[in-house]
Amino acid sequence: MKRSPGRGGLLSALVGTVVLALMLFPVYWMVNASLQPAGNTLGGGWFPLHPDFSGYATALRDQGHNLVTSLVVALGSAALSLALAAPAAHALARFRLRGTNVVLLGILTTQTVPSIVVANALYGAYNDLGLLNSHLGLVLADSTAGVPFAIVILHSFMRGIPEEIIEAARVDGAGRLRVFRSVVLPLSRNALITAGVFTFLFAWSDFLFALTLTTTDTVRPITLGVYRYLGAHTNQWNAVMATTVLASLPAAVLLVVAQRHVTSAATGAAVK
Amino acid sequence: MRSRPRPATDPVPVRHGERWARWLFIAPAAAYLLLFFGYPVVENVVMSFQRYTVTTFYTGDAPFVGLRNYAAILSSSRFPRTLLTTAVFTVGSVLGQFAVGLALALFFRRRFPLGGVLRSLLLLPWLLPLVASGTTWKWMLDPDTGVVNAVLRGLHLSSSGVPWLTGTSQALLSVVLVNVWVGVPFNTAILYGGLQDIPPHLYEAAKLDGAGSLASFRHITWPLLRPVVSVVLVLGAVYTVKVLDIILVVTGGGPADATGTIATQSYELSFRQFDFGRGAAMGNLLIVLSLVFAVLYLRADRRARTV
Amino acid sequence: MTSPARSSARRIAALLTGILLLVPAATGCGHNAGSGAAGGEVTAITALDYYTDESEHTQWGDLLTACGRTVGVRVEQTSVPGASLIPKVLQQASSRTLPDLLMLDNPDLQQIARTGALTPLDGYGIDADGFAQGIVSAGTYQGRVYGLAPNVSTVALIYNKDMLAEAGVAVPRTWDELKAAAAALTRPGRYGMAVDANATFEGTWQFLPFLWSNGGDERQLDTPQAAQALQLWVDLVKSGSMSKSVLNWTQADVHDQFVAGRTAMMINGPWRIPALEKDANLHWGVAPVPVPRLGQSPVTPLGGEVWAVPQNPSKARQEKAARVLSCLNSPSNMLTLAQEHHTVPSRTSVAAQHAEENPSTAAFARSVAAARARTSELGTEWPKAATGIYTAIQSALTGEQTPEEALSHAQQTATGH
Repeated sequence: MKRSPGRGGLLSALVGTVVLALMLFPVYWMVNASLQPAGNTLGGGWFPLHPDFSGYATALRDQGHNLVTSLVVALGSAALSLALAAPAAHALARFRLRGTNVVLLGILTTQTVPSIVVANALYGAYNDLGLLNSHLGLVLADSTAGVPFAIVILHSFMRGIPEEIIEAARVDGAGRLRVFRSVVLPLSRNALITAGVFTFLFAWSDFLFALTLTTTDTVRPITLGVYRYLGAHTNQWNAVMATTVLASLPAAVLLVVAQRHVTSAATGAAVK
Repeated sequence: MRSRPRPATDPVPVRHGERWARWLFIAPAAAYLLLFFGYPVVENVVMSFQRYTVTTFYTGDAPFVGLRNYAAILSSSRFPRTLLTTAVFTVGSVLGQFAVGLALALFFRRRFPLGGVLRSLLLLPWLLPLVASGTTWKWMLDPDTGVVNAVLRGLHLSSSGVPWLTGTSQALLSVVLVNVWVGVPFNTAILYGGLQDIPPHLYEAAKLDGAGSLASFRHITWPLLRPVVSVVLVLGAVYTVKVLDIILVVTGGGPADATGTIATQSYELSFRQFDFGRGAAMGNLLIVLSLVFAVLYLRADRRARTV
Repeated sequence: MTSPARSSARRIAALLTGILLLVPAATGCGHNAGSGAAGGEVTAITALDYYTDESEHTQWGDLLTACGRTVGVRVEQTSVPGASLIPKVLQQASSRTLPDLLMLDNPDLQQIARTGALTPLDGYGIDADGFAQGIVSAGTYQGRVYGLAPNVSTVALIYNKDMLAEAGVAVPRTWDELKAAAAALTRPGRYGMAVDANATFEGTWQFLPFLWSNGGDERQLDTPQAAQALQLWVDLVKSGSMSKSVLNWTQADVHDQFVAGRTAMMINGPWRIPALEKDANLHWGVAPVPVPRLGQSPVTPLGGEVWAVPQNPSKARQEKAARVLSCLNSPSNMLTLAQEHHTVPSRTSVAAQHAEENPSTAAFARSVAAARARTSELGTEWPKAATGIYTAIQSALTGEQTPEEALSHAQQTATGH
């Protein structure tokens, strides 16, 4: 709690850096492996002294369209999650409807439902409805992670918006929809970004729905692309790892760009 | 507009139609949740009483078989093993994540240069797609060519290397380790948040009373952190018991079924053997387990509050 | 809680169907395979296979096109990865969007035929006369032929000539020779031998030559013959001549280990030959899978893909598809395919001719003559036995169980449900 870092502070910084380096070593190793030359070396050096980008060339050639698929699905899921969650969170935070607690409890209960159970049932329904192997099908399924999360995050934020602000707008004659659109949403910008970032990442990282709700490679997210790569391309580990790096990129970028939102959500998500 | 007495719960007068309009805010999300959580759960229960085979796909016939799917699962010679693996995986992961997470949270509580940056960079493993981390770990843990064994050999800690992915108990340890690695950042972040909520003056008072750091941990930190701890542990258990991605990528459930959990079994039954009935029954067991954790949590929570 | 749950379930289901029925129409997902209505002139048919590898896809595409031309239709070929084929076929079976012409891995044919989704070929005047017995039995369900394969294959021992020469080791012919050779070929960073002992049907497939050549049988797995075969693999791993990672390797992984010089010998199939030929520095040879005792001939599993004609409301399309199937299986096309893919024609007379012309892959040709279909004895019950076998392999190689224990367990799996 001292202002200036004493010797203890520097030591802590050093220890912290070492601990972090250990924790992030796999990430380093992933990048390192992706920069090794192609071929059957299987081993690779400790440092990418002569970085070789052929792994990325192969990865982009084989998996480029899978990256696009992931992007489309993740953006779609983020948009759908926010569109469903924002009005619901607003209503739960503001209207004090009878049954609010039941709805909130229901949302928490969804967290105990395993994805495999959802996939098991959706497979049949999707098959009947022609939603297997479709972007829409994946967007809908992937949002099972995003919607409850976004409701919880937005709800806890919107509850904190002072009643007076809403009241003032109401007095000015704004209808419920207007209040929501022109007052609540702009005020909730930060919470919306946080929820958006995470719902995007949830859908981007999805593996199980991609695995179970697609049967061809026409609509194949990058996570499934990596998984299928594993069995078929062991002699091209650099390409496999390059794909892994590409698949990890959004998470890393968002952590840097939206650091504040990510950190706040990580602490806020569980301690509601 | 005929004014009516204001209901205590709502500051603005409410007309009947408007109450409807309010529900419209919730309706889309509620419909979605019912369709994508309610329907699957109910459908799974129905499916678990039916017999699905490859032929079902063409004919659509899935005759009602009562409890036979459950009987088949529970009496299978694999089942005790699967249950034990699930328990070891869940308990090992949750405790591992918690222990490391708490240590890191306590460490980061001291303010030091770079502390904030390091703390947010630490979140990276949690944010990466599980398939990406799993693939990397699989590559690192390869018994012949992986970097982990290379280091162990280099340090003369093991001459032949550890069969991380080819030994049965080692493979289970491996998936637990990977899952701990993935979960530590989340645990650290939440526990760190919990620690921040403990008023600093308590520590100062304890210091004045001559309490060492161990004593102040025992008498201040731990009791005040208890509610957060139970949240972390229960959430951890609920999320871990259904983990599938890591196991499928790192070990595929093997070798010799050593890392097969209820979740991977459910996947295997439905989507590899196309026996959706048994897959559903297995999935329902998973829900029951999750609910048990949830109930334990509620009871622990109530006890924590009354104490 | 039962009645409200059920009624809400019905409501939810109704809602789901209501909302989502609009979706396929909106996105145009509900695709109509091929062209031509049930009654009209058939100008195009669809075909589905798992030849996703670029060169294979083209070769098969060309052949399908050529055969289509002889019967006056365009063949629209779709290829999905091997692991996705059965899920895809099942999905199509339930949505009634099966292709007109379907390729299946031969041990899967009976399973699919049992669902009722395929049509018997005798209805189109196609018979299996002159085909090798193994492949006919794989294509037959309840006495009728549903699928025919133009060419077949099996596994053999592929070895690195330079490594054998350097170690002064002769190509092993028996199990004892195999163990000795593998040990002599093992170096730091290199194993003598590699197989696929994966917990999948692929692992089973690679073990079958050892099981069958020793007189083992999938109908009775808990026999000394089966245990001896499994013991051979256990010994190879225990002695360090074979990596314990074989537990996780696919056939593709085994191939990669071989190409990378990390194993001197491997079990693999002729479909690897094009990739092996790409590496000019790699000198490899093919020999039959080693047998228990000198003088025996190996009994290997029959590989190969059969073509079938699925159920379809349009008789005209089925007729066209059947004629294309017949063309694929003509003697001349068999020869072409065998040349291109280093496989063996499935008509015995054509196979003999092919063997004379291609001595380099004669090891495969000889083995194929004696090859056995995986489904020939158990039919649609085969997957259970196959599951039992790979489970036993895994248990034995990890040391969880002795081969005897593992196999008696496998027998329970095979006969259980």
